[in-house]
Amino acid sequence: MATIVSESELNYSRHIKYWRRNLKTLLPHFYTSNDSNRMLLALFTVSALDILGDLDAALSPEERQGYIDWVYGCQLPSGGFRPWPGSDFGRLSTDGNKIWDPPHVPGTFFALLTLVVLGDDLGRVKRREILVWLIRMQRPEGGFGETVDEDGFIHGGNDSRFGYMATAIRWILRGDLEGPCDGVPDIDVDKFVTCVRGAETYDGGISEAPYHEAHGGFTSCAIAALSFVDRLPLTSSQKPDSAVRGITDLPLLLKWLVSRQTATLDADDGLDTLGDETDTSETCHDAHSFVKLGSFVSTQADTNMMKETTHAHFELQWVGFNGRCNKVADTCYAYWNLAPLQLLGYMDIIDQRPVRKWLLDKTQHIVGGFGKVTGDPPDMYHSFLGLMVLAMFGEPGLQDVDAALCITNRAKKHLESLSWRRQLLGQSRDQRVGLVSDKTQIDL
Amino acid sequence: MPVFHLLRDWLSAIILSPYRMLQSVLYRLNILRPLPAENKKMPKFYQDDEAWADIEPLPQDDGGMHPLAAIAYTEEYSEAMGYLRAVMANSEFSQRVLGLTEHIISMNPAHYTVWLYRAKTISELGIPLQDEIAWLNPTALKHLKNYQIWHHRHTIIDALGSSEGETDFINTMLGQDSKNYHVWSYRQWLVKRFVLFDKPEELEWTADMIEADVRNNSAWNHRYYLVVGGRGGKPNEELAKREIEYTKAAIRKAPQNQSPWNYVLGILRAAQLPKSTIKDFVLEFADINKPDDVYSSHALDLLADIYAEEENNKGNAEKALDLLATKYDPIRANYWKYRKGLLQQAQVAA
Repeated sequence: MATIVSESELNYSRHIKYWRRNLKTLLPHFYTSNDSNRMLLALFTVSALDILGDLDAALSPEERQGYIDWVYGCQLPSGGFRPWPGSDFGRLSTDGNKIWDPPHVPGTFFALLTLVVLGDDLGRVKRREILVWLIRMQRPEGGFGETVDEDGFIHGGNDSRFGYMATAIRWILRGDLEGPCDGVPDIDVDKFVTCVRGAETYDGGISEAPYHEAHGGFTSCAIAALSFVDRLPLTSSQKPDSAVRGITDLPLLLKWLVSRQTATLDADDGLDTLGDETDTSETCHDAHSFVKLGSFVSTQADTNMMKETTHAHFELQWVGFNGRCNKVADTCYAYWNLAPLQLLGYMDIIDQRPVRKWLLDKTQHIVGGFGKVTGDPPDMYHSFLGLMVLAMFGEPGLQDVDAALCITNRAKKHLESLSWRRQLLGQSRDQRVGLVSDKTQIDL
Repeated sequence: MPVFHLLRDWLSAIILSPYRMLQSVLYRLNILRPLPAENKKMPKFYQDDEAWADIEPLPQDDGGMHPLAAIAYTEEYSEAMGYLRAVMANSEFSQRVLGLTEHIISMNPAHYTVWLYRAKTISELGIPLQDEIAWLNPTALKHLKNYQIWHHRHTIIDALGSSEGETDFINTMLGQDSKNYHVWSYRQWLVKRFVLFDKPEELEWTADMIEADVRNNSAWNHRYYLVVGGRGGKPNEELAKREIEYTKAAIRKAPQNQSPWNYVLGILRAAQLPKSTIKDFVLEFADINKPDDVYSSHALDLLADIYAEEENNKGNAEKALDLLATKYDPIRANYWKYRKGLLQQAQVAA
């Protein structure tokens, strides 16, 4: 990565303060609407401190053990995790009411990762039960849901979010082994991949369901899921095989992902162009009428033309990402669009510098953390994903991360080193496990 | 009209600012007391409520000294959750429980089992599904970005077997945010569930949405859903022709709008027509022989593809990509360079 010459800086101490506060004090009451997603917030908190290199300093051994025990407290007797203690009936639990306190796909995914980040060996996780339950979470058409009820009906949206988390749970507990494992049958990987392919859109992204609109979040979840089941498109150096692979049109997907870069950074930019997207400084003005782009071209563009260089325009110091065509930039979409680019090994087709500068100058908040758009107060969701992007860029002082799992490579190595997992996968397979992240590191 | 809004906001800011300043001074001096906001309801508690006297609430056990992501719950929420756990543990399905689920949903709409529990309560009590929809409409407007609410609506409307009134509801929701993903997604579910692909009103409504905002990509996508998705991905030639003409008119209005360019390329691909089908049209907006007269970077991009597919025209394709990288779309300069590299690789291979 080129050296960054810029005054824009990540304010480490503020970010550490922000995340330590989230760890040690009660979150403000407006997080109540996220009460059922507490395990997600738990992962963000410990993983952010890990990325900042502060986790060991922030936790006493007693606290670390306490947090681990809290996560295990959310494990259900029948296996799987609830994402919060709120649905636990405690002493009133019976066989009759356990359907209202079911294991939850996101709850299980975030609980496993939180344990990994905290250095637990997953020894108390009911691994076999989770794998049996996971098969029941797959719908006939291949996708996954959130919870399953007594009649076997699978609830929750029918989109790639749950597929992402389900395939990650499978990867955490049994790596990329295909077929039965330890006597438990596998999910139907081919059907899952077919389901992802069905959600590819005419403009190249991935949507919630066939023929729905392409969306950065669903695209990211789908690509990460394909990486967990080792079904991403083959690169030119890989040997062809007969496996069903995801993404029928990789070039179109790449184009869709880079097209998410935008200079429309806040509502005011949108206002200047009557609510339209500003692609670049040169292309924002013509949206309403039929005019030559050349009429608005900057001197910088003319200089570029003469020298045949692509020197950044003054106006392009800051480049954001949106989640869909013709929308405003939003911190979280930098992650949702860059994670697939990194997993596919194409991080170099975007210019990281103006994106970094946008995050640091525009959405980084003075009290630490990141907001959604320019000037917004920070929240845990945008603060974590903003930090992830900078770590993916190799920001000095941040730990390197696994783009798909949202944890540091240190934490991932810890998981891969666990004896039960090594045993399950066999010694000879150990080297293969980290393949995806190793490959993409080279591109940075 | 956005210009009008801008003007109105600006004027009202100027006119109202002395009044607001005075108001804030008076508040500070305790001379004036702010009136309670109308929509701010008093917190509801159950412990003093006769109707709930038989229930012993079940408080949350947060699992010891070290909970993660612990939230400073309001007393109102903690108490209501305690009653909810108590009735759910006892599988009580009653009118009062219906009210309790509503109360919880207003504070934590992402509570996934409360929605399922509510659906079960409705079915146990035999509550008319229309009543539930009537309740759901204003609730959805309060929680524009919630997943559970839509899952619940699917369940109710599916059971009701009628989409009557749903388009009005959708229009109200889109009035709040014309690109709300959940709403468009729900519309697509409705079209599929009630087989509305070929209903003329559906396409007309979509055209109106595009007319209202030609950059609304959700509306363009919905058109594709009807025209191509409704035909198993294979539109006939006549239909493809109609769509190409429709899109051309939209591009002429705003050539730098990416939505219709993506749309027309999707139509061409679905109809198995080459990109060169619209070469003459593309040349109206970008011609590499007139590099200063470019009206659309998307036309330039498409031109690069068309030239790349032609025999011996790679040079022109490269010129188009250079123009994009250096002048007309420098934000994606690295990508255009990558595309140029691919062209050169193909040439070496040939």
